[in-house]
Amino acid sequence: MSRTLLLISRRPEDQAFAQAVAVTAEMSLRVVAEPREAAALIAQEDISAILADTSTAEQYQALEVAIQEAVGLFSDRINANAFHFLRSDDLEKVQYLVQSPLFGHFILRNYGDPAAAGENYGRVVRATLAERAFGLAGLIRDGTKVQVVKLSNSNQTQQAVEAVKNYLIAAKFQTRLATVVANAVDELLMNAIFDAPIDSLGKAILSATPRSTPIDLAHQHEVEMHVAYDGKYVAVTACDLFGSLDKVKLMSHISKIYTEEEYKVRTSVAGAGIGLATVFRSGGSFFFVSESRVRTEVTVFFQRTDNFREFKDQFRFISTQFYF
Amino acid sequence: MVNVVKEQKGNALHVRLSGSIEESVNFDQLIGPAPAEMIINCKEVPRINSVGVKAWIKYFQAAQSKGSKLTFIECSTAIVEQINLISNFTCGGRIESIYVPFSCTGCKSELVGLFKAEDLKKLNNQIPDLKCTKCGGKAIFDDIPEEYFAFLGR
Repeated sequence: MSRTLLLISRRPEDQAFAQAVAVTAEMSLRVVAEPREAAALIAQEDISAILADTSTAEQYQALEVAIQEAVGLFSDRINANAFHFLRSDDLEKVQYLVQSPLFGHFILRNYGDPAAAGENYGRVVRATLAERAFGLAGLIRDGTKVQVVKLSNSNQTQQAVEAVKNYLIAAKFQTRLATVVANAVDELLMNAIFDAPIDSLGKAILSATPRSTPIDLAHQHEVEMHVAYDGKYVAVTACDLFGSLDKVKLMSHISKIYTEEEYKVRTSVAGAGIGLATVFRSGGSFFFVSESRVRTEVTVFFQRTDNFREFKDQFRFISTQFYF
Repeated sequence: MVNVVKEQKGNALHVRLSGSIEESVNFDQLIGPAPAEMIINCKEVPRINSVGVKAWIKYFQAAQSKGSKLTFIECSTAIVEQINLISNFTCGGRIESIYVPFSCTGCKSELVGLFKAEDLKKLNNQIPDLKCTKCGGKAIFDDIPEEYFAFLGR
């Protein structure tokens, strides 16, 4: 039986996007204009994923109220993993979405070509429908080779980062584009090596350790990097075995900007807390998948473009999938 | 890994940074105690990660708080991106000149042009085209002007 993708939007560009998402994810598409109609459908039918126009705080509030009244915000009929919020403004302007109990995915509506963006995002939606959304192969075009690099020590990070950069330059990426991707990989690996490890009580064990400290990446500290380039998108995943990703902290970091506020150096932690936000604002999209105490995979995507201007202005999203 | 070449010229210590700034950087060791005046050349910094940014702000903020006069020259595109993203990245220092990215419309080559910050202010985001050094074609500014030159409006 085909799964259902529900779109709540009156915008033609959202409908073109959703249509392409549905095709790629092999879903049937239902379109409604109002949150109340959507909530009624959610109460009556099996809805697997919801794309919702949340351009204004009022639209979001109307959705939250309708869901609460129809099935409850913490219902077993629907959860945050299924909600994909559509917006035209960047993340820092929408704290109401970031803090929402329904927050699962954020799509910045700079589609360019909505059908192409929908095809790309459809793979993410398709992955979220699986029992577990792990694995880079499902996020890129079928048949794309995934290269796996296993790091044995944290002091190999910069070598791995430079290897990705050189690979992309060889694949005809502009040097500046390749450098941005390399920096993203750097941030992902550092987070996997130093921020992911927790003890049995859930306390971070390496957060205060200087990032230049060599860490043996064996047993539970094992970290892998997966790299794939399908000719249009490059995707890199950092995998760890702690499953410690915290959605509230994650969204707080990624939505924080320092263009007006001053960045304050915190000495209690060794990390800077600005890496992911920088990557997102440089054109990267994220897919975070975490199963508590089992595994976390963080994938960053970039579209290859002929120039940096298009690269920075590309279609972007932040997608999260948590299993408890 | 970043390397530092230092040269005292008059009252100012000229510091030339080259290489990626990441977790291994130790500015206290590389540059030493902050002098009264420091001119930092960032032409050859292709990349800086978040831990590098933290180390940068920690060092130059401490230098500024001790009264060191800071001037940043020939800032690479990677440094300009951080200047725009982090409001206090220059720690009260002055930006004298930056590299501006261009892309050739013919052969797609990447180029950079050096501009003084005061000249850029006068251009008001209207960056003149360059002649591509490889094919002679037209090279146009390759970034989003409102973002790349955002620091000029601060």
